[in-house]
Amino acid sequence: MSMKELGVVGRNVGQRDLESHARGQTTYYEDVHYPRMLHLKMHRSAEPHANIVKVDTRKAAASPGVVCVLTHEDLPGKKVWNGLAAVGVGPEDEPVLAFDKVRWRGEPIVAVIAETPEAARAGAAKVEVEYDPLPGVFDVEEAISGSAPALTAHWPHNHYIYPDDHAASQIRFGDVEKGFAEADHIVEDKYQTSPIEQAPMETNGCIAKPGGDGRITVHTNTQAVHFARDNTAAILGLAPGKLRFLGGTVGGGFGGKVDVAVEPISVLAAMRTGRPVKFKYTREEEMQVSSTRSAWRLYIKDGVMNDGRIVARKITSYQDSGAYLRFSSYGSMKHAGHMPGPYTMPNVWVDARVVFTNRPPSSAMRGFGVMAASFAIELQMDKVAKTIGMDPWQLRLLNAYRNGDMRAHRKVNEDAAMVETIQAAARLAGHELPAEYQAMTSWDRKAS
Amino acid sequence: MPELLRPGSIDEAADLIARHGAAASVLAGGTSLMRETYPSDGGYLIGVDRLGLDKVVSHDGGWSVGAAVPLSVLREAVPIAALQAATREIGGPAVQNMATVGGNLFARAPFGDLAPALLALGARLVFATAGGETTQSIEDFYAGWADGAPPRAGLLTRIEIDAPTGASAYMKCARRRYSTPSVVTVAACVEKDGGTVSGARIALSGASAHPFRCAGAERAVIGSGLDEAAVTAAAAAAESAVEPQTDSVASEWYRRRMTGVFVRRVLAALA
Amino acid sequence: MEDKLIRLTVNGRDEAVVIRPLATLQDVLRDTLELTAVKSGCGQGGCGSCSVLVDGELRLSCLTLAERAEGAEVTTLEGLNETNAIVPLQQAFVENYAAQCGYCTAGMVVAAKALLDRNPAPSRDEIVEGLSGNLCRCTGFAPIVRAVQQAAQALSDTGEEAS
Repeated sequence: MSMKELGVVGRNVGQRDLESHARGQTTYYEDVHYPRMLHLKMHRSAEPHANIVKVDTRKAAASPGVVCVLTHEDLPGKKVWNGLAAVGVGPEDEPVLAFDKVRWRGEPIVAVIAETPEAARAGAAKVEVEYDPLPGVFDVEEAISGSAPALTAHWPHNHYIYPDDHAASQIRFGDVEKGFAEADHIVEDKYQTSPIEQAPMETNGCIAKPGGDGRITVHTNTQAVHFARDNTAAILGLAPGKLRFLGGTVGGGFGGKVDVAVEPISVLAAMRTGRPVKFKYTREEEMQVSSTRSAWRLYIKDGVMNDGRIVARKITSYQDSGAYLRFSSYGSMKHAGHMPGPYTMPNVWVDARVVFTNRPPSSAMRGFGVMAASFAIELQMDKVAKTIGMDPWQLRLLNAYRNGDMRAHRKVNEDAAMVETIQAAARLAGHELPAEYQAMTSWDRKAS
Repeated sequence: MPELLRPGSIDEAADLIARHGAAASVLAGGTSLMRETYPSDGGYLIGVDRLGLDKVVSHDGGWSVGAAVPLSVLREAVPIAALQAATREIGGPAVQNMATVGGNLFARAPFGDLAPALLALGARLVFATAGGETTQSIEDFYAGWADGAPPRAGLLTRIEIDAPTGASAYMKCARRRYSTPSVVTVAACVEKDGGTVSGARIALSGASAHPFRCAGAERAVIGSGLDEAAVTAAAAAAESAVEPQTDSVASEWYRRRMTGVFVRRVLAALA
Repeated sequence: MEDKLIRLTVNGRDEAVVIRPLATLQDVLRDTLELTAVKSGCGQGGCGSCSVLVDGELRLSCLTLAERAEGAEVTTLEGLNETNAIVPLQQAFVENYAAQCGYCTAGMVVAAKALLDRNPAPSRDEIVEGLSGNLCRCTGFAPIVRAVQQAAQALSDTGEEAS
């Protein structure tokens, strides 16, 4: 195909909404205005782990301007849910509104709907919750040690069980113990990442507006409009056709707007009051309550030959899912699928677990699961290079995957570009490579 | 939600502050106070935008700066390097157009980055009280803080700044270049007689409950030629004098380490 | 405390609006006058998405009490397009791909206008400082700075105003 036939490749293509952005004419969810709109504020758990003894909403309901107060007793459909239940992920473990227990500080308990944002905030502050505090667990290894309290009956050992009854997302390729026995060096270390907040400029929010036809229109900034509609319908026990979701304009998402965090309760509030209801996270809620990229802990053990070949890699990973599952089982699958990094080695063993703690639930963020893997793998590569006294560029080139290599997850590699990428980076960085490393390509691995 | 009061005279404002005591908050530029939310009823916000406190008067030997002068106006009106540097280090341009000189002196740690410059310049604060006008050195004002909160000294009306008799410098350590809270902020004003330091004021903010002058660091450089030994001693004195907090900006350990580093850098700029 | 009638001049028009106690300028501009180019990213002066001009000076509408803007000229981004023609500063944002999600863009353009009005030929460092109160989370700062550089260049080439 000649370049002439390509309409887009190699050209600048106009961004359709740029002029609208520059003029300030793009309509985000909260740029629509309805008369008599109400505002929703959530009363949230003050404890990271506690039994709920009593919830008293009388003072909140009597607070000036408060129109409606919603607890779990008002939920017409599901009390607990998981966004991926429709594709078989489960069991559903997360309360829509907490009832018997709270498992993280910030967990929603009571929604207060009022005439103004200030009145909603004042009403929510008057909800009284009596707690019976329980010991909390905040460390992934402590959580699965057997001595920590179980967060839910679903996961008695505080870790996820995959549908095939495995405790982890696993890779078993070759025999790592044999590889370690044959290796000249063993290099091992522990790696830890922190939770990261997506921090979009626009916080999570929606407006639910009842219509005369019995349908509810929802203006939302979700990143996944059909997903949000179907989950909202499932949670509330509604036919999806009762909900008309308008989305697509997102003031920054980065994975932080796929949790269906605001729509179900706003729709319920709109149904109860017959009035438009807006639920907008404050910046504090966005930072403290909305889900983060999960924190990971990894242990990596490598068997390395004197010439730099890595002959065995064993990885044990713990994803801190926080109190509930959300998308973490998928995150650990992606994490395991990314291992052992863009390198070919004959023996690989991976266990990637999803662990539950009393931290805020974690969820999607740009390549979740993968970033922590790359972070740890590349630090480990540098450590290997240092241990055997080899140039880290050369170590990576030597081990980089080639076309035709069998990957640890048993897929034959195609379209490899790692060797050429490292060579290009070395040229740009002014790092000189020996001739034999400059001559390497993604097609030339000799059968070893 | 508190009630907004907008007095039309300084006397009226001073009376309101005296009458409402702890229930009253003075609202100047609003860049700190408007960030608060008001879930409960009660209290008063006393606006100072109608009191004529937004002027800088230049006179022989110095400047008289109205407490409600925005930082960006101070930068244009008072040509002292340390002070001008300080105004660029607080918020972004919009905040600098709104935040006032007086208001910034009441900001809670780690905010309040104007104070070290004014401490180094030996500024005086003039308060209107129900009983009349009182003047206090800025260091006495901060000595009166308790539990990280300012004393209720009346209505700050103006800041008197004498023309500096030495060279001044100001540096803020932060996690990014602009519009960011302080890890630690250091300002110094040094007078020299020949090559020897005859007088010095060294002040810090961000790494303690409130801004303060560091007497130990000052003693270490007075009489010296700002040589390596004196600067090292001053940095060490400052590191032991600060009481840093750990927060989302920085750890106690990092704030203490940067205190020494930035005292060295500021003194190096004046050597 | 009661609702109150105040008079504002916004984008050249006189407006009489009823405000709730302690209503911010942002509340009035967004919710009463429906000037929704004024965004609300944090409500506490940390992000710059609500930037407006008050008597030509850059201000944060979320931290400004509406009644304290009485008697002043308030300009929002919409005020740049009173004749519906896109202005060179906005065109520079378009040509430099200086927006992704667009949420910070309105505040960025207002802050850039405030900068260029005061300093028509800013250095790169001055642009960075001038936009330092405005956050972008799609990591678009480099094209935004390029857009302002281009607008400043266009300004000096034509002798026209940036906006």
